Amino acid sequence: MTSTWALVLDAYRDLNSKKLFWITLVISGLIVLAFAAIGVNEQGVTLLHWQISDFGGTVTSDTIPPAMLYKSIFSNFGIAFWLAWGASILALISTAGLIPSFVQGGAVELVLSKPITRVRLFLTKFACGLLFTTLQVAVFTFACFLVIGLRGKSWEPSVFLAIPLVVIFFSYLYSICALIGLVTRSTIAALLLTLLAWFGLFLVNFGDAAMIGMREAAKTNVENLEKSVARHERFATRQWEQLWLTRNTKDLPDGAPKPTPPKPPVAELDEAVPTLRDERRKLAEQQQMAQRMELFATAAVGLKTVLPKTGETIDLLSRTLRDRMNLPGDDSDTETSNESQPPDQARTVNFWNQRDPEESRKLQQRIDGEFKKRSVWWVLGTSLLFEAVILAIACIVFVRRDF
Amino acid sequence: MGMGLVAAAPKERQVESAPAFGPVTPGEWGAGAPSHRSETGEWAIDLRNVDKMYRGKVHALRGIEMRVKKGEVFGLLGPNGAGKSTLVKILMTVIAPTRAEGTMLGQPVGHKPTLARVGYLPEHHKFPEYLTGAQVVEFYAALAGVDRATRKKRTPELLELVGMKDWGNKKVGGYSKGMRQRVGIAQALGTNPDLVVLDEPTDGVDPVGRREIREMLTRIKEEGRTVFLNSHLLSELEMVCDRVAILVQGKVKSQGTIEELTVKRQVYEIEVAALGADGVEGLVAALEGKQAARMLAGRVEAAPLGSAAGVNIAKRVGIRGQLASGEEVEVDHGTVRIATVDAERIQPTLDALRGAAYVIKSVKANRPSLEDLFMEAVTDPETGKALGPGAKKEGGAK
Repeated sequence: MTSTWALVLDAYRDLNSKKLFWITLVISGLIVLAFAAIGVNEQGVTLLHWQISDFGGTVTSDTIPPAMLYKSIFSNFGIAFWLAWGASILALISTAGLIPSFVQGGAVELVLSKPITRVRLFLTKFACGLLFTTLQVAVFTFACFLVIGLRGKSWEPSVFLAIPLVVIFFSYLYSICALIGLVTRSTIAALLLTLLAWFGLFLVNFGDAAMIGMREAAKTNVENLEKSVARHERFATRQWEQLWLTRNTKDLPDGAPKPTPPKPPVAELDEAVPTLRDERRKLAEQQQMAQRMELFATAAVGLKTVLPKTGETIDLLSRTLRDRMNLPGDDSDTETSNESQPPDQARTVNFWNQRDPEESRKLQQRIDGEFKKRSVWWVLGTSLLFEAVILAIACIVFVRRDF
Repeated sequence: MGMGLVAAAPKERQVESAPAFGPVTPGEWGAGAPSHRSETGEWAIDLRNVDKMYRGKVHALRGIEMRVKKGEVFGLLGPNGAGKSTLVKILMTVIAPTRAEGTMLGQPVGHKPTLARVGYLPEHHKFPEYLTGAQVVEFYAALAGVDRATRKKRTPELLELVGMKDWGNKKVGGYSKGMRQRVGIAQALGTNPDLVVLDEPTDGVDPVGRREIREMLTRIKEEGRTVFLNSHLLSELEMVCDRVAILVQGKVKSQGTIEELTVKRQVYEIEVAALGADGVEGLVAALEGKQAARMLAGRVEAAPLGSAAGVNIAKRVGIRGQLASGEEVEVDHGTVRIATVDAERIQPTLDALRGAAYVIKSVKANRPSLEDLFMEAVTDPETGKALGPGAKKEGGAK
């Protein structure tokens, strides 16, 4: 343990000597101060003692209690933007050099000549790199905890969930950074390639969301069109039956029982209501599209399974905090149906060009629902497995390399 | 100064017992050598068949056999690229050997826990610049498993030993190269080691500092530790080393005590006050007339007798022959050189010269310096030129 503590202490001293560590901490402090400066009263939002706006009466202490406001800001801005993006990028910049400087000539020989196995050395050094984020997140979260408690009068220990989850999120990226830093021995290469990998993961994440969105849009369209076709068919049937009865009952004597109309032929229904054919065609197209998108979405999920899920880890945190802090979610209402609607043509949803806010909201709900179906173990477990594989490769490289 | 470094030596340290390298376990390349295991008690380092083939087929070490006695100062010499640092790094588990047999401090080479008993100062070391000198010493001692109390006690003593007491609390980033070397030596002693491996310890150190380091090495040796020294500064090695090995192109060219290595080339130089009218021939005649020697018929052009063979030293024209007792003799102007370490063997020659009325001006026993030996080792005997730096690629080696 003496040697492990020595490495941890050394990493702390290293971080302590880096101005960026303190700059990031100062920025975190400023964000917390700004967070604490915002308030809400009966008139609207305040900044220190200035009244800013009530946003058309939507944001007052009556509509959003202070506790809710602070929790929402922490969850939607503090985590989603600052910890997941700003602080993580600064953490990467600060820690990208740890492994390259560790393995540079003249430094590594001394450490390798000590009675510590290389695997332990590397993993300890990697863990030390995570120290940066742990400290930053811990300080930020604790400060936010105080702000939510003191200003919002609501003490929420669940905010501390941010510490392990953000550190786990950062560890995915840092494992990539450590491997690249070890192989290239270059801080710049490690940083740039990690940011590139992060961008790649972002694209995969976006692709996954897009595939799911397109699939759900297609499914929504199929459902809408199925209903529309049914409505059209009912309407056309009624029309056809009336016509049939008109034709077949005009010679009947009064009081004679009316005959029951037969099942109308499809072709005659289509003739009766010309838009029915269009709706059927559209339905067939959307069913094909839904099948195709199902394949793409499955492929995207497959690809994502073997990669770290950066975005979903942060979403998981936001979602968990929302649940634990009783914040309003996005799934508030249920789908409505209108059977008495005249047989207008069904509105189709386009994932890439959403014009109808209502349809857009529903589609977003469906997409969110799909993401929520993914278990915590799938999100974290497979990501940590990826990290373990990357670290195993790095350990093998480190153990086998001659310095 | 004068501190007892051995007194506080904790011989039992908590260290790992895992192998140093993944692909090559100590059992594979170090645990063997049962044939000479019985001798490990005497040897701090006992190497056999150490080979290192780098990727790219550079054969850096080719069957190194080397022994370092416990308690001695051992010097490793060699030109640039001879494989010195590779050998040191193999001992310190920084590089995995292609093959290695033998022991270090009685344990197989590559045995990690043994490194707790070894102090190491690499060449071109880089200490973290955010640490102070004292923190450097403490940090590396802690990595070797030295407990906090011992580190706190020993660090000021070591800094005083290397003359850095007043600089111990200053950041390494502000140190000169010499100061870094001093702190480096202090950290190498931080584990209170049985074996100290120093790679170019006087690099960048001023003459005063070098002298202090030499004294330090002597003191370390007096405390019973073994010092393995890798240096280019031959004169310094000559002053402190008990034994040396000369490494050339990945092979040990020669090793032994400096006495053993130089004695073979000792010559006695007898200088006469003045040559007679017959010049050099008169001297030859005097030697042959008394049957003290049998000289060759003609003059030969060669480097002076006793100088390192093949070395590019200005050749002279002299007359060579053999004493009646078998030693080589050379007559060169007013000097007679006899290749022997035995003073008795030159007495007949002295008698012959005096008998011929020559005045003996001086009689000197000359031995080649370590530099001469080194130059001989690194010179191609065929061409007389220094061998190229670096180990040859496989297939291109002789």
